[in-house]
Amino acid sequence: MTTARSVIVADKVADWTIRIGGIGVIVAVFGIMAFLAQVVVPLFTGAASGDMTATTSVVREHPPLMNTVDEYKALAVSVDKTGEVHAFHVKTGTRLTAPSFDLEGKPLTAFTRTLNGRDVAFGFADGTLRLGALKVGGAVTGADVMPPGLTQLGESDFTDGRSIYTHVAGNQIRRVSVDIEIEDAQKIAPEGVAITAIDYRLGGTLERPTKSFVTVDAAGVARLSRTESRTNMLTGQTTTTLTSSELPGLPPGVPVYDVLMTDKADQVYVVDRNGVIYRYDTRNFSQPALAERAELLPDGVTVGAVRFLIGEQSLVVAGSDGSVNVYFRLQTPGSPTGDGFTLTRAHTLEPHDAGVVAMDASQRGKMFVTADAEGHIWLRHSTSEQVLLKLAPPRLPVQYSALSFAPRENGIVAMTDNGDAYAWDIEAPHPETTLTTIFGKVWYEGYPEPSYTWQSSSGTDAFEPKFSLIPLIFGTIKATVYSLLFAIPIALGAAIYTSEFVHYKVRSVVKPTMELMASLPSVVLGFIAALILAPIVETWIAAVLLAFVVVPAGLFFSAYIWQLLPGPVALRLGGVPKFSLMFVAVFVFGYAAYLAGPAFESLFFAGDLKAWANGNIGSSMPVTVLLIFPFVFMGVYIASEGYVTGVFGSILRGPNRVHAGLTDMARWLVTLVISGVLSSTGAYILIALGLDPRGGIVDTYMQRNTLIVGFAMGFAVIPIIYTIAEDALNSVPEHLRAASLGCGATPWQTAVSVILPTAMSGVFSAIMVGMGRAVGETMIVVMAAGNTPLLDWNIFNGLRALSANIAVELPEAVRDSTLYRMLFLAALTLFIITFVVNTFAEVVRQRFRKRAAQL
Amino acid sequence: MPTKTPRTTDMRSRGEPALWSLGGALAIGIIMIIGFLILVLWNGIVTFVPKPIAIVTELDGTVTAGEPFRAETFKPAPDMLAALPAEWQAKISANDGYAHRTLYRIGNFDLYGEDFRWVSDFSISKTEYREEMVFVERLEWGPFVGTIKSFTVDGVEHAFTSPRDPVFENVHEVSRDRWRKIADIEHDEIGAINYDLERGRLDVRKIELESGKQSPEYIAAQKSLESQSLALQRDYDAYAKQVQEMRSKNALNTLTLVEVGGRETTIEFSELVRAYAANDLSVLQSVAVYFSRWWEFLSDEPREANTEGGVFPAIFGTAAMTLLMVVAVTPFGVITALYLREYAAQGRLVSFVRISVNNLAGVPSIVYGVFGLGFFAYVLGGSIDALFYAEHLPNPTFGTGGLMWASLTLALLTVPVVIVATEEALAAVPRSMREGSLACGASKWQTIRYIVLPRAMPGIMTGVILAMARGAGEVAPLMLVGVVKLAPELPIDGFFPFVHLERSFMHLGFHIYDVGFQSRNAEAGKPMVFVTTMLLIALIATMNTTAIVIRNRLKRKFSGSQF
Repeated sequence: MTTARSVIVADKVADWTIRIGGIGVIVAVFGIMAFLAQVVVPLFTGAASGDMTATTSVVREHPPLMNTVDEYKALAVSVDKTGEVHAFHVKTGTRLTAPSFDLEGKPLTAFTRTLNGRDVAFGFADGTLRLGALKVGGAVTGADVMPPGLTQLGESDFTDGRSIYTHVAGNQIRRVSVDIEIEDAQKIAPEGVAITAIDYRLGGTLERPTKSFVTVDAAGVARLSRTESRTNMLTGQTTTTLTSSELPGLPPGVPVYDVLMTDKADQVYVVDRNGVIYRYDTRNFSQPALAERAELLPDGVTVGAVRFLIGEQSLVVAGSDGSVNVYFRLQTPGSPTGDGFTLTRAHTLEPHDAGVVAMDASQRGKMFVTADAEGHIWLRHSTSEQVLLKLAPPRLPVQYSALSFAPRENGIVAMTDNGDAYAWDIEAPHPETTLTTIFGKVWYEGYPEPSYTWQSSSGTDAFEPKFSLIPLIFGTIKATVYSLLFAIPIALGAAIYTSEFVHYKVRSVVKPTMELMASLPSVVLGFIAALILAPIVETWIAAVLLAFVVVPAGLFFSAYIWQLLPGPVALRLGGVPKFSLMFVAVFVFGYAAYLAGPAFESLFFAGDLKAWANGNIGSSMPVTVLLIFPFVFMGVYIASEGYVTGVFGSILRGPNRVHAGLTDMARWLVTLVISGVLSSTGAYILIALGLDPRGGIVDTYMQRNTLIVGFAMGFAVIPIIYTIAEDALNSVPEHLRAASLGCGATPWQTAVSVILPTAMSGVFSAIMVGMGRAVGETMIVVMAAGNTPLLDWNIFNGLRALSANIAVELPEAVRDSTLYRMLFLAALTLFIITFVVNTFAEVVRQRFRKRAAQL
Repeated sequence: MPTKTPRTTDMRSRGEPALWSLGGALAIGIIMIIGFLILVLWNGIVTFVPKPIAIVTELDGTVTAGEPFRAETFKPAPDMLAALPAEWQAKISANDGYAHRTLYRIGNFDLYGEDFRWVSDFSISKTEYREEMVFVERLEWGPFVGTIKSFTVDGVEHAFTSPRDPVFENVHEVSRDRWRKIADIEHDEIGAINYDLERGRLDVRKIELESGKQSPEYIAAQKSLESQSLALQRDYDAYAKQVQEMRSKNALNTLTLVEVGGRETTIEFSELVRAYAANDLSVLQSVAVYFSRWWEFLSDEPREANTEGGVFPAIFGTAAMTLLMVVAVTPFGVITALYLREYAAQGRLVSFVRISVNNLAGVPSIVYGVFGLGFFAYVLGGSIDALFYAEHLPNPTFGTGGLMWASLTLALLTVPVVIVATEEALAAVPRSMREGSLACGASKWQTIRYIVLPRAMPGIMTGVILAMARGAGEVAPLMLVGVVKLAPELPIDGFFPFVHLERSFMHLGFHIYDVGFQSRNAEAGKPMVFVTTMLLIALIATMNTTAIVIRNRLKRKFSGSQF
């Protein structure tokens, strides 16, 4: 007789399914970790370069003054000193015709462009200036068919010789072309004095556009000028007025390299060839003032390039020695400058081996590209100070004269003196993050010093997201520490009492009740904490703080009263009645704290806790006494132990219980008084040493604060610690307990000297698991913690934890953006913290089980 | 003198103070949980009780009419204190600087721009409860507190006597019926038309993607879509006309409300949910209002940014998600437990698996949410969209949070609960029974299938129910993988394929967070949050109790069955 085939097959199938499924758990854990890590990794990979295309001799006669490329990297354009515009298709290098600026044959002596390359200005030898625009851009046309007669360029582009046509999503066609505008000449400098440097900005309103520009002429005179156009409503005529004022204080004969001005035309920087910057405060147009003169380069080094980064808070100065440094204009107290601001070197970037010859900055972020005299092009990020990419020279020798960084930060076009062009595809999705920026201090724009900051979004374009995980990790630690400070004493005390001192019938009621706490959804805890508890605690804060003192002290007091009971009575009432009395004690002393709250507030906090916490009123002395009192009391108690046993031993033992109880109570009171005196002295010394709790663990009061979080989190953590610790205590073998009691030890001595040491590893593992829960708890911190990323231990202030940050920001984060990956990093951090804590707890617990089994 | 042996032990050895601290800790823990439950239950239960409307006249002549909402003791600011009469200043300072005030729910947001007003005790000149005051619950602008001046039936004006006037009740019922009918038509009939239109457009788009824009199939499909659209448009016009007729009929049934200050506002009967004379209710009527509010809460959709109306979609969403989660979590949990108990040799691999299970249990739930969003929704869902729902793109179908991904995420989160419970249940099956089965010639799988699993089934059930309780209470991961504050459609409806696993859904836990923290006025939402909280806790408590009952029954059934 053989086994039916179906049985064998079923057996085999089940065998494999179950084995694979079992191993699946390991796969799940490590799969989650691997997936999170895989999302995070690109944060640290810097940038990658793709294809490079080379086009020779785009410009034949003159070296290019500038070049620029459109948003889609289809068309690159350069301008030379005759005003001629050269355009070519980036991918294939095909030359296209483009309109040129008509400079009427006047020799060009100065040129400038704005960050986006759109607005240009030309200065001439005769002291005139012309403003213009170079528009390289695409427009999506409604048509879904290409116009006829196009030639194909590369894979997907078409051209009619002037524009580039490309199919885009949604059956539409995009046309990219070059367009120029140039205004009439305006007389700025005296006749025959050439303009040597210009910068300009557009401003004003649509109806009344203003153009501000700053010029330096060959005579060394710097002028701030402004044209304002007004259209007459009736006649439709436009009148343009030009006003100028001279910038004072520029030493004669300064070899001016360049001038820069800010977007609102409130700052002008005149840069000389040796790296000396004359910074003008031009908020008052008619009376510009020299605010600061700063030497930004060492002696003998000349300027290679100087540019603002987007937002115009960072000034990049590159030298002929290859150095590249970023300066911030910071408001510094006691600054000797005219307007209270000083140019401060914030970032020193890795220098080139040779002098810097060209530079271009990103239109979206803090990235910029620099090219050196040996033909190396480096892609850098200012804030993170990293060099993301180093592009080697495509041939040797190569001398770059113009450089442009694609608007979408995805390409670089460089042009050489002899008119060759090189274009690289690059990819730098997360330039702002390195391990140092995430876990170290970073100097952000507008900040007086490097700091740990988390600020992921803001309203303006020039805003730089700040991704430091430190404030969030700190928030998580702060929430965990304060909630464990609250939870551990209650959970462990309750566990020891349940396991050792109550009848098993009481235990079978008490334990499920405590475990019920674990099933409360945390969103409910958060809601109650934030909307119900927080306002109540805010009103009764003094009473709440007082309860932390009065309830434990009251329990002690009740214990000493209890000791006065005659032995038989105490024995008879030892079970449930005693436990009930403990409830009564908690209620009575809790209520006493509520009643005494206002008195406490006026005595300890000068009548107003919030003002006191701010440091406005009152003294820290009483509170410091209170804070160190428990430690002093313990110290005094332990120190006096030997003495008391020796001298009062016989009194403490008899002759009857009431007498002994009274003596013990007296001893307690004496200890209290002594520790009170000692802690007052201690507090006096501490404050004299400058250790004031205010400004440290207590400071400005916020309604949603760590105290509330700690309390609400207690609900989440207490049942976990309680259950596991109680199980551990309970699984200590009964014969140990029996032996100890049989030797004459009291239940208390048994619990402390026999049971607790045996179960210690289990109890420890309970605390670890509770900690793991507190670290990852989300809804309570989202709702009750106020969510401000701060770095202080103030218990009256809020916090922003890793978990809450994920919950709040991830729904808004764009997939694969830096923020998205940063939040995955936050999740990975949480995962790793809890993984370590839980694995450790599990290993300890397994060891404990083995030991308990051996006993 | 002979030394006398002490009769009592050293007091210190009893550790009485320490003992009281431990017991006190336990007492505090129990007080915390009991107090919490009482707080939630009390607030949840009294929320729907109709409260009287007080008319408070303040010393400065301000008249406030509203339900007393809650009262508190507070500390007046120094400048506020300085402005008070000397008599009150003395009273307050005698009370350590505390004064008492009451929050009134004044309603009439359309007229006042606020729903609540604090009135301090010291500023009250008189409080009265007039019988004609009416509490009116409306579809928009929240409740109205005041009196009803008159009402019109089919354009004819009637004088108002009482909300229990049969004419009043009748016209209210007729208007509400009509309103419900309009809602039904808009949701069902017009919804179906929209659905068909969208379906047709997607079909055409699919053909376009498959065979291109110039293909004959595409042109044919385009044609048929056009004719179909025309027919649907005709249907739509007919329904729209029907709706318009009912609307204009409803517009003739109005009532004019007057607030305590004399300002009037007129609403249609169709916008009136409920009106009662708050100060003139018999016990029976109070009970009726109370239960009708409960029914509304459990069966209706939310309105007024979720702060009023019902939570039916949230209950439905929670249930659907939890059940789906059970479908996913049970096989995986049971298989892993079987592996650990029945298949694996105890060794390094097993302790690895155990550590992994513990880690799965210990990883913060929000991390699962992140994983669910990144892996399930974006990676898996993105691939499904690209393969099967290309015509919907760029709108994601499965490529964003939804019911299925939420369930799978929670399944991952709760699988350790099932594993641990199942393991316990498997361990409780006596070894002798397995050996007996194997000795009779059954294969290993047959033994498990017919002997072990049936015996362990109650234990597995316990685990599954505990997992459900855990899953139903989780909110943080759901915020990332598909829960929304207001879902326009339930995940199960009458349109093919009937169960829409890709839809986002509402959830009781998230409802609490949303109403409590994201709504215009947290105070107005608070009663709603309390009731929702009570509902959620009741749901979870029921599941937990069921699990415990099953576990106990299992213990009784199988105790002593060892042979």
